[in-house]
Amino acid sequence: MALSKDRIGGLLMLTFCLIYAWQSQNIKLLPFQLNSSFHARTMPEVLAVLGVGLSVLVIAFPSDKERFTLTGQKLGLGLAFLALMSAYGLAVRPAGFLLSTSLFLTIGFAMLGERSIAKLLLVAVPLVVSFWVLMNYGLSVFIEPLPAFLRG
Amino acid sequence: MIDGILIGLSTAFTFQNIIFVVMGCLVGTFIGMLPGLGPMSAIALMIPVAASLEPSAGIILMAAVYYGAIFGGSTSSILINAPGVASTVATSFDGYPMAKQGKAGKALAIAAYSSFSGGVIAALLLLIAAPYLASVSLSFQSTDYFALMVLGLSAVAAFAGKGEVLKALLMTVVGLMLSTVGTDQTVGVPRFTLGMIDLVDGISFLLLVMATFALSEALMAIIKKVDESKREAERKAASELGSMKITKEEVKEMVPVIGRSSVLGFIIGVLPGAGATIASFLAYGTEQRIAGPVKGKEFGKGSVRGLAAPETANNAAATGSFVPLLTLGIPGSGTTAIMLGALIGYGIQPGPRLYIDQPDVFWSVIISMWLGNIILLVLNLPLIPHIARVLAIPARFLLPLILFFSLIGVYFVSFNTFDIQLMVLFGLAATILRLLSFPMAPMILGFILGGMMEENLRRALLISDDSWSFLWERPLTLSILLIAAACLFVPMLSPVIAKMRSKTQDAPSAD
Repeated sequence: MALSKDRIGGLLMLTFCLIYAWQSQNIKLLPFQLNSSFHARTMPEVLAVLGVGLSVLVIAFPSDKERFTLTGQKLGLGLAFLALMSAYGLAVRPAGFLLSTSLFLTIGFAMLGERSIAKLLLVAVPLVVSFWVLMNYGLSVFIEPLPAFLRG
Repeated sequence: MIDGILIGLSTAFTFQNIIFVVMGCLVGTFIGMLPGLGPMSAIALMIPVAASLEPSAGIILMAAVYYGAIFGGSTSSILINAPGVASTVATSFDGYPMAKQGKAGKALAIAAYSSFSGGVIAALLLLIAAPYLASVSLSFQSTDYFALMVLGLSAVAAFAGKGEVLKALLMTVVGLMLSTVGTDQTVGVPRFTLGMIDLVDGISFLLLVMATFALSEALMAIIKKVDESKREAERKAASELGSMKITKEEVKEMVPVIGRSSVLGFIIGVLPGAGATIASFLAYGTEQRIAGPVKGKEFGKGSVRGLAAPETANNAAATGSFVPLLTLGIPGSGTTAIMLGALIGYGIQPGPRLYIDQPDVFWSVIISMWLGNIILLVLNLPLIPHIARVLAIPARFLLPLILFFSLIGVYFVSFNTFDIQLMVLFGLAATILRLLSFPMAPMILGFILGGMMEENLRRALLISDDSWSFLWERPLTLSILLIAAACLFVPMLSPVIAKMRSKTQDAPSAD
């Protein structure tokens, strides 16, 4: 059985649906729900059965038989961006909006090939500052601008 | 009714209210254009401003922001394939391919004319039918709503290409599964929260949409090796926009689509809980069916009909969604739910008595819809070349910016950094599924309808004393379910029927 795009996707979905089905059994039912025809578990159980069934059908009858290949794709760069976004999520509060966002954008632009330091800073920093001013003063959405150690 | 129209005209056409409509349309378009900020965020941001105004002026301002944001969302869907709201997801199916072909100007013009026509026709329908439509909506029961949700979900088969029905259905089920995460609405039992307090309220719709569309689209662009010369050519074509003129043939193609989609969008919009998303998806699916095999194949590749239908329908539905809000006090969508909160804040109780107690509010909102649509057309078309310049930004600057707007759009709603981590996770999953050619739109539809569907099914079972007979005993429910079944099985059977036809045609020639 060749691992086509559909079959890999089907297998991933099947795994997800099986975990979902397993987790659905952890939903606690209140005593009065035990004998009712529709309770908190009903919909998840029906969906789990449908999901498993459809995943099996996708694996058994793939419409796309093209073999999956990653050649010619910059997977590492994609993963690096995911890590950068996750780091931004962790840093935005302690480092403040201005510093964390400026760093996020500067590193992001550099990762995609911008080498001029002047351009990196001239695009990222004014944009972040003006966005913060717009949100804070224009739309009254406050977000902590400074790092924790500089706050009063 | 004539008295009502006169009251509406005298209230809406004051200098102050016209300024509010213009301002609302501009602000709404600007906010709606930013990936991650949709009508809900735009209206929520406007509540403090609106609270300081007279009730009718405040509601007029918020309504104008609503239309502006929907149009702004369409613009970002077409130009950068980043729909900030579900109702403009269907717009990106054909709008973005058109922009990639260098017809961004034409796509934006079609969207503007379609939105305008949809809004104006729906406002006319609202004006004529508002009193009667309230009674029609009142006659709908939970069973009918449930059936309507099933119909909305079965429409995914219409989006799926040849042999893609199974994958589309699987993704719909995944969307429904994601909608079950969080506290069960009826008994308050936590489901699939994995012991995390951040998941108790469920997964945010905005988070899921931004992760599966804007974020994964940007990630796909990063992962795929971009041919810089091709990209340069694409950018040049996009910055030039191409002609904004629409040919006579295209107008001929658009007119019947706009007519049908306006009526469909309005009717769907009137139904509480249905809203602009179902309307846009249904209109897209319906037009694809009607288009026939030749024109139908153009859908998803830059079809004029495929762009005009959801654009008309979502604006018509946005207008229609004011009917249950103003006449029944039931929000037709998330956006009108925020407006309901604002009305209650003014001390106005929306419902059948709104006509009688506060006719100025009721009628001025309806009249302002026309005004808003005219201003949107007058404002947006001349601004299109300036708006489209966003595409002239090089990819190395644009892609991190899209990622930033997506992350911050979600963060600004909840101020919870957990949402950013969850978004990264969904972004990764969506990118993998995109690489494997799995469709994302059915998942979003499943997610939106999941909660409502479960709630209505539960209510229907409660009313019918735990008996499933409601599915076939009520003619309206049964009819909607039969249409849903037809939507689901006709695409599955059509290849078989086509094969049988070709065999019967081949048979005489073989003789």
